[in-house]
Amino acid sequence: MKEEHIISILESSPFNSLGQSEMAAIDAHVAHCEGCRRALEAAQISALLIRERAVAEIEPPPFFQTRVMAALRERRASAESPLSSLRRLWKATGALVSGMAATVMALAVLTFVAPSTETVSQDAASAFNAYTAEDVILASDRLPEDGLSYDQVLNTIYETDEDAEK
Amino acid sequence: MELARLTREGDESAFAEIVRRYSPRVFRTASRFFRRREQVEEAAQEVFLKAFTELGSYEGRGSMEGWLTRITTNTCLNLLRSARRRPELMASDLTEDETKWLDHKLAGRATENHHSAERRLVAADLADRVMSDLADDDRMVLTMIDGEDSSVKEVAEVTGWSESKVKVRAHRARKRMREAVEKLLARRKGS
Repeated sequence: MKEEHIISILESSPFNSLGQSEMAAIDAHVAHCEGCRRALEAAQISALLIRERAVAEIEPPPFFQTRVMAALRERRASAESPLSSLRRLWKATGALVSGMAATVMALAVLTFVAPSTETVSQDAASAFNAYTAEDVILASDRLPEDGLSYDQVLNTIYETDEDAEK
Repeated sequence: MELARLTREGDESAFAEIVRRYSPRVFRTASRFFRRREQVEEAAQEVFLKAFTELGSYEGRGSMEGWLTRITTNTCLNLLRSARRRPELMASDLTEDETKWLDHKLAGRATENHHSAERRLVAADLADRVMSDLADDDRMVLTMIDGEDSSVKEVAEVTGWSESKVKVRAHRARKRMREAVEKLLARRKGS
């Protein structure tokens, strides 16, 4: 053992788990092997560093639970966002869509129902009205019902105005 | 198991209880991989968010602690892999405290217990810097076996590796760690 290099022993198991017999063999060898002595020194420092690294634990902060729950809600909200934004969009445009539908309905009623109603009412009005515009123009020589001619009416008007001026 | 079932049924307070109960364990595991508090917290939060989404796959066969430890290990390894690797540590990069710590140990007191909290912190920082040159998997195996006295079987359970793979990783990590320290000491003595 004295003539065998001890590096393989150092690497086969944790330094702290080496037994007394193994340590004795290592000590005997490094007394005359400079390379293995440096390896042993480094292995000892390594073991200490690893041990210190392992015990240096970090405890959870007081509000870690709250932080995780907030992150969870945020992530769930962002995961649901495409659907929820569509819902919001639908609600926002709901009134507009309803209004547009009502307008279309009203236009349809006006287009298909209102014209025929208007024709009927015009005919009915003509039936009750004896003097249409055409009658007035084309039959202007016909006397009004009160029996006065247009000349008589005009004379009456102008005479009244002249009298008033006088 | 009951908390997992309640969480799956939409009981948010049950999941909050899982976070409260298992945070120390998750932090302890994440501390194997990260040294800075904010990194550990970020990793731990990611672990619980992942656990929430994967709770459906937890069938309650093993302990929830073990299940969360596996998620923590995988999450931390993924986070480390996505991070940029730091350059090799040079002796000139050592802080004054780290140099003093090394000198103290090299003066023949390597096995001496040191109780000073400040010195322990210096050692932990130096360890983190030296170990940052190792592969993430190697660092984790080394911390668990050589630092926490975990068995090969325990590491195999957490990582999902075979026991022979764990042994090979541990051997390789030990060799690399020792070589890195040896190189650092040689530079230190030469400077």
